[in-house]
Amino acid sequence: MSGPLLQVDSLRVTYGAPGRRVVEAVRGVSFEVLRGRCLGVVGESGSGKSTLARAVLGLEERVDGRIEFDGREVRRMGRAELRAFRRRAQMVFQDPLGSLNPRLKAGAALAEVRRVHGLAKTRAEAEAQAADWLATVGLDAAYAHRFPHELSGGQRQRVNLARALCVGAEFLIADEPVSALDVSVQAQILNLLKSLQETRGITWLLIGHDLAVMRQMADEVLVMKEGRIVERGPVDEVLARPAHSYTKELLSAAPSVKRALDRRAAGALAIGCRQNGPS
Amino acid sequence: MTASGLGVGYAAGGGRLEVAGEVDLCLRAGRTTALVGESGCGKSITAAALGGLLPRGMSRDRGEIRWAGGGERGPGKGLAYVFQDPGECLDPVFTIGSQIREALPKEDRGRARERMTDLLRTVGFDEPERVLASYPHQLSGGMQQRAMLAMALAGRPRVLVADEPTTALDVTVQAKILRLLADLQRKENLAVLLITHNLAVVAEIADEIHVMYAGRIVESGPVEMLRAPRHPYVQGLLKALPRLDGAERLEGIEGSVPPLGRRPPGCRFHPRCARARAVCAEREPPWTACGPGHRVACWACGDGGWA
Repeated sequence: MSGPLLQVDSLRVTYGAPGRRVVEAVRGVSFEVLRGRCLGVVGESGSGKSTLARAVLGLEERVDGRIEFDGREVRRMGRAELRAFRRRAQMVFQDPLGSLNPRLKAGAALAEVRRVHGLAKTRAEAEAQAADWLATVGLDAAYAHRFPHELSGGQRQRVNLARALCVGAEFLIADEPVSALDVSVQAQILNLLKSLQETRGITWLLIGHDLAVMRQMADEVLVMKEGRIVERGPVDEVLARPAHSYTKELLSAAPSVKRALDRRAAGALAIGCRQNGPS
Repeated sequence: MTASGLGVGYAAGGGRLEVAGEVDLCLRAGRTTALVGESGCGKSITAAALGGLLPRGMSRDRGEIRWAGGGERGPGKGLAYVFQDPGECLDPVFTIGSQIREALPKEDRGRARERMTDLLRTVGFDEPERVLASYPHQLSGGMQQRAMLAMALAGRPRVLVADEPTTALDVTVQAKILRLLADLQRKENLAVLLITHNLAVVAEIADEIHVMYAGRIVESGPVEMLRAPRHPYVQGLLKALPRLDGAERLEGIEGSVPPLGRRPPGCRFHPRCARARAVCAEREPPWTACGPGHRVACWACGDGGWA
């Protein structure tokens, strides 16, 4: 399979009540995501990256521009088609606990979405299938009977992934999926995302602020600032030869153990930071 | 300030549950000491214990804290804190000025205005007057954290405890706040205790580092030890970090940090350690010196170990 799964053209998203100041969160953004690839979107808070993700899934109201999924324009889809789109395109959020219902056990959480999408007729049938989906994210069947508070952060994020996959998602938007996790667990989850891309052909839109994570995961990357794309390209190229001053700033501020130690050993200024004065 | 054999306990079901134990720290003027670990390892509790800020139900019931010059002190008396989320620490209904004024010691109240503008200049504000009159929501996250730092410095502390001071900030802002911390430590001759989970932040500004796991320090040394750590956990943490210069598959550490009350006997890391042998599950590993100021608590990589 090749060709773009998602094509976005001149996307604009605005906020603000009528008669009040209008804030343009996304200001004319165009990009595409090829099937089975991972596109990273990097930027700092307020750059519009999460709004962009929500707009793609139809979760924003004041949207302008064209969003095409598998050749069909999302904003012109009829009910049935939209339903299928919502099954095929799923989202995984940053806070793994906040995005799970505290009163549903992991198995029931999966069963619920399968029933909602008409993929299982009865609760019993849905719960029986839940174990298989938990296995695809590396959790054994016993976890189906645990509540979110009985799981660790990494396990919760696995359940969130399983919940997205179990309705047949082909396209996943992950908004800062590992930033709330401990370092030793982050790596496990990143590896899982990567292997889902490889084994199940999942197409990813990965939202984040960490360039090192992008280096690990993404094929291509967009750098966003103030609602606009300021740089784009294959991730290793962008990181090796950043063209825009903002990308350079992000890169020089990106935390790196080895670089920091080298810089200090050389007696240079401790922290790479291109501007002085208050932030 | 030195803390030796520090232990924090939590009274539970008639017994004592240890949150952190046998913590030795030595904080020196003009030096930054980092206490690093993942969530639930006891680093923030240890920091809170130093200033008597432990939550209800917990107490520092082991070890002692000594100050050069004698005595024990708390917040406002030689020890000041800066926390992770400046937006939550600042009171939204008072101006920055009135909040800093509250933190000024008696002897500075007479010339409060002057002292406050000095403090704000120290933390990098060019227009201190404007900041004094601002409410917290009028400042960005980075500016709020600077204001918190000004407030912490108001009491002329000798020790500044910074608990995840940059975790809530964007990376470019983080870099600036870290540089400010490093500057302050030098100019004000502060002893800084940096609490963080981020090894890169440690590498940027710390002089000494202590890595904690499940309530115990497992490896301590000068910051350069991060180039070649000895403890399997610390090695694992470094390998788990995504790198800017390589896309090899990451090596996570299997499993996760055990919750309080389910910490294993012996070396607490042994269930997740690839090099563990029988002894690791039975007895706590002793300290082994492995370089100037560098020591590790591990059976496998200590004296007579097998790795």
